[in-house]
Formats: sequence, C-alpha cells, structure tokens
Amino acid sequence: MKRKLIYLASILLFFTTVTYSQDAIAIDSNAIDTTVMAEAPENSSIVTESFAAIRVINNHSIEMIPKRSLEFIVAHKFGDLAGSAGGVPAWFGLDNLADVRIAFEYGLFKDINIGIGRSKGIGLLTQVVDGYFKYAILKQRTSGMPISLTFVSAMSAPYRAKDSDSSSVTSWPTVAHRFIYTTQILVARKFSDRITLQMNVGYNHRNYVTYTDQNGLFFAGISGRYRFTKNLGFLFEYIHILDRPSSVTYTNHLAVGFEILTGGHAFALTFANSRGCTENLFIPGTVENWAKGQFRFGFSINRRFKL
Amino acid sequence: MLKNLLRVLFVILAVAIVFSFKWSDMTRYSKYSKEDQVNIADLSVEEILIQLGDQKPIHYISKVNLDSARMGEEMIKYGRLSDKSNKRISKYFVCTDCHNLQQETADPADDSPQAQLDFGKKNKLPFLQGATFYGMYNKRHWYNGDYDKKYGELVYNTRDSLYNAIQLCATQCSQGREMTFWEIRCVLHYYKSLEYKMGDLVFTNYEIGLLSKAVVQNAVLAREIIHSRYIEATHETFGTSKLPEIEGYQPNMENGEYIYVYGCLHCHSPEKNITNFDLKMDKLSFKFLDDKLYKYNHFSISHITRYGTYAISGRKQYMPQYTMENMSDEQLLDLIAYVKIKANE
Repeated sequence: MKRKLIYLASILLFFTTVTYSQDAIAIDSNAIDTTVMAEAPENSSIVTESFAAIRVINNHSIEMIPKRSLEFIVAHKFGDLAGSAGGVPAWFGLDNLADVRIAFEYGLFKDINIGIGRSKGIGLLTQVVDGYFKYAILKQRTSGMPISLTFVSAMSAPYRAKDSDSSSVTSWPTVAHRFIYTTQILVARKFSDRITLQMNVGYNHRNYVTYTDQNGLFFAGISGRYRFTKNLGFLFEYIHILDRPSSVTYTNHLAVGFEILTGGHAFALTFANSRGCTENLFIPGTVENWAKGQFRFGFSINRRFKL
Repeated sequence: MLKNLLRVLFVILAVAIVFSFKWSDMTRYSKYSKEDQVNIADLSVEEILIQLGDQKPIHYISKVNLDSARMGEEMIKYGRLSDKSNKRISKYFVCTDCHNLQQETADPADDSPQAQLDFGKKNKLPFLQGATFYGMYNKRHWYNGDYDKKYGELVYNTRDSLYNAIQLCATQCSQGREMTFWEIRCVLHYYKSLEYKMGDLVFTNYEIGLLSKAVVQNAVLAREIIHSRYIEATHETFGTSKLPEIEGYQPNMENGEYIYVYGCLHCHSPEKNITNFDLKMDKLSFKFLDDKLYKYNHFSISHITRYGTYAISGRKQYMPQYTMENMSDEQLLDLIAYVKIKANE
C-alpha cells in the first residue's frame, strides 16, 4: 500500500510539473521572460556561463539549452581504473564499459528543456531509456537575484526482458514497476567569472527494489566549477543519500572532471566512482568505493545544433 | 507646363537642401508608418531623380504598401512573420545580426570605416559586417569587389539586381531557404520605406548653388550632383590575417572598446545565442583572445576578423568577415590594443 502511494505521489509530482510547464508555454509564446524576477533593477542582466554544459558531470546543472536548439550528448564511463578489476589487465578500465548514454536534449522554450536518452545501464538494470523535463524558475542576475534555481524531473525505465526469478529485482510484475524517478531542485550561484557552486536537493523513487531496500530516497548534493581559462575548467560533483537503510550496501556518487570547450563542442573528462550516466542510475545504484580503486574514467561530448 | 513643374520642384528642392543640414546627422528609422503630413526633408531621392529623368531601377516601387513593409520588417527582424504564417527564412541568423536598419554615417556619400565608427559610436549603433539596409533601396550594385572570392559565380546575377541580392543573402549569407516572390516583395517594400530622403543627403554650399541652377537648366548635371551625394555601390575588399603595421600608429582605446562591445559582443554575447563561441566583458575572454593573438586559426582576432569562417555541413553558423571597407586596419589594431589592455589589467 505504502509502495503504491509513493508510486502515485511520484507520478503526480512528475505530471504536476508538466501541467505547470504548459502555463509557462502560454506565457513564453508571447515572448516574455517567464523567469520570476524580483523587480530587476536597471542595468541588471542575467548571469550567463555558470556552467559550460547542461550537466555538471553526470547530474544536471542550472544551465539551459536555448530555445530551438538541440544538444546531442554522448557519455561514456569505463571500468574500474584501479583495484581488483582495474589496473593493467583491464588497461585501467578501458577494456570494460560501465555505461554509455546517447541522448538528444532540446530547448523547447526559453526556460523549458526536455530530453530523451538511452543508456546501456548498470548491474541488472540494463537497456534503459530515460526522459526529463527541466524548468528554469529563477535566474541569477548581476544585481537583484543572487541565485539561479532550476527544477528537474527525470524518469527512466529499463526495457530488457524481465527475470523469471520472482526474488530478482528485475522480475517486475507490471510495466509500472520498471520506472525510476528523480526530481530535484538545483540552486546555483556564480561567485565570479571563475567560480560557480551548485547545491541540489531531491527525491529519487524506484518502483521496484529489493526486500531490504526502500523505494524512496532523499538526497542532497553539491557541485561546482572552477575555470582556469576561457575554455578549460575543473568540475566536481557529490551527491549524498540522506535516508538509505543501513542494511543496504551503497556509496555516494563522487565525481571530478575537466571540461574543455572548443566553441560548439563541450568535452568533459571525468573520474567517478558511480557506474551509471543518469541520475536515476547513479544516485540509487552506486556501490563502488573510491578508496578501493573502484573509480573510473569517463567522458562526455556535448554538441549543440540550431533547429 | 514641364517648366513650371520643374520650377516648383526647384523651390521644394532648395528648401529641402536647407533643411538637410538640420537633419542629415540624425539616425533615421523606417518611415513606412509616416503620417499624412508631408515633410520636405522626407522627399524621396529616388522620386526626385526620376522626375529629373533618371531611369527607374529594376526594383522600382512607386509607393510603399504599409502592410507589405510591415511584413518585410518582421521577416528582417525576426526571420518570419510575427503571426508565424510563413516558415523561418533561416534557422541560424536574422538579417539584423549583420545589418543595421539605421543610417550608419553622417554623410551617405562617405561610408568609410572611420565615418561608420564615428557615427556608430555617437549613436550607439552596432558595428556590423553587413551594409546597412538604410538606403539599400537606392543602391544599384550589390556583392561587388571580392565577394566573388567567397560566393563565386553566385554573385554575378546579384550585382545588378536587388531581388537576386536578397535571395543570395537568404540562401548563402544566412544559410536559409529560398524566399518566395511575395516575401522578397515585402522586403523590398520595407527597403523602400528606408530609402534615402533629401534630408539625408549632405551638400556643400557650392553644390547647393550648382544644383539650384542645374535643376532648371541641366537635369543631367542635377542628377549627377544628387547621385554623388550617396554611395551606389561599395567595392568590398577582403583583407588578410597578417597583423597590420601602421607607421606612427597610436592606439585608441575608446574605438577598441566600441568595436568589442558593439561589434564582437553583438553576436558573441551569450544572451544572443547567435554563435557557439561566447565572449563577455570578463578577464577570461580578454585573456583567451590575447593568448591566441598570433595563432593562425579562427581564435585569433586578426584571422577571424579578416577571414571569418565558412558554413560547413553540420555547422552552418559562421562568421562573415569584416572587409577593409567595414573595419580599417587602424580600427583592427585599436580592437587588439583594447583586448590586450583588458587582458593584462
């Protein structure tokens, strides 16, 4: 019963955002900035380039794809770089592919993005399709508004054949059990031309979990960017799960990386303990430990097109 | 009868010339929505020339159709009609990314880079690669000079036809679709609303005296005088990426800042979403440009300014170059000096 209630709540949460977005669409079509602005003083302009891409590393950033632009993303994560599964035999993880995601993400309106993607998946959750909806509620301004605030709601579902073993986490009794949701609020501030920090809080819900685990997880995270030059920056990202049962073995997602911008392309070279590329996989599904050498090299390429 | 008409015309013209001194240095906007009241300075240069026996241009329009001009303006500013009843002309650019709609120099007969910069700075106009649409209707030749180096034989049938020039701009310069006949007609009506008026032209006292006589006695001379007061064709010259060397050159920071803010940032400002390469008034941008100054690639200021980039498959947005007629070598050095100073502040 409790599971059904949480499932319903997360569905409602997801679709509430869609309903809200439709209101925003009507406003946006009149070419008015839908961003809530607290009486912006004159000469106050929106702070741009808080992050180079719409992801910090694997999680979302407050950056938005401009209206009518399409972003094509290819993200890879390899096997363990060190530890028992890494090192020279697996050529520092490059012989093993942890996850790969190919996605198309689109600026539907000025402050609304949507995206769809497909990942290899991690562990038993393979052949994963995902989609998300993102809405920029507030934007930092040079004076007046000190922060940017963005809402993101994402949904994933593995479409692989279900397991016949009813004790397996992939023995999904119904299609609805396959779904995983993550809803988060991102709050960011660009402190200077070089430094941006972002905090996020959110709720992840898996409709089908093992007996010892729980469906809903609250989490909070911090991420940031330091720019060495115009086109080279350092990134970090950490997400802490707040209420995981102690009976479950898990770790928190921690990633660091470098971004390289070429004007049109944004490359990120990353190292992370998590295997998954999307928040629905790496927030609840990380079990690897940095201290044991269970971290991996990954990269992502973002290419933006105008449509 | 004709003589009487010419006399009346002469009186009108004389008054217009006097008033031209008052209005000639004002930034002018579209007059397609003008009221019924006739302003002498607003008399069409084209119509006066035709009255004096000049040949009508191929794109001649006798009277601006207000609806057509409005539609033309919408397509120029937003790439399509505001009611969205036609397809966007280009996914990548709108005309005003590269062209101003206002007069760009105080004297239409002087479109030198310095005159453009002085007038632009005074009136805070974007400092752009393309020629202004103000007075475009009065020109007779387009895509002259080195443009054939860029567009090859595509430019040949645009050189005498404004209709074809608009089509080339839509399909090549903006990397968009072919415009339909009615769309180009609407743009032409908008151009007509931006044509030179007598008040825009600048005459010397000597020319006024000469014109006064010529209008009555020698229509050919009168036409010549009027024609000499504005540019009918600009012969564009492409430069090279070699850093200019000018003897005795003294950097002008004010000019450099104006070019950076009203030229570079016009497209490269992140809010504009015109290019994939963003620039700002921050040290990171200045340092980046300064570091790449002597490279032979499109991150180098002199290289990108003089060569621009080309549209390629998968990357249609490109940067048109500044020709020597758009930006002088001295101005390029001013821009570089400004970037260097800001990078090392």
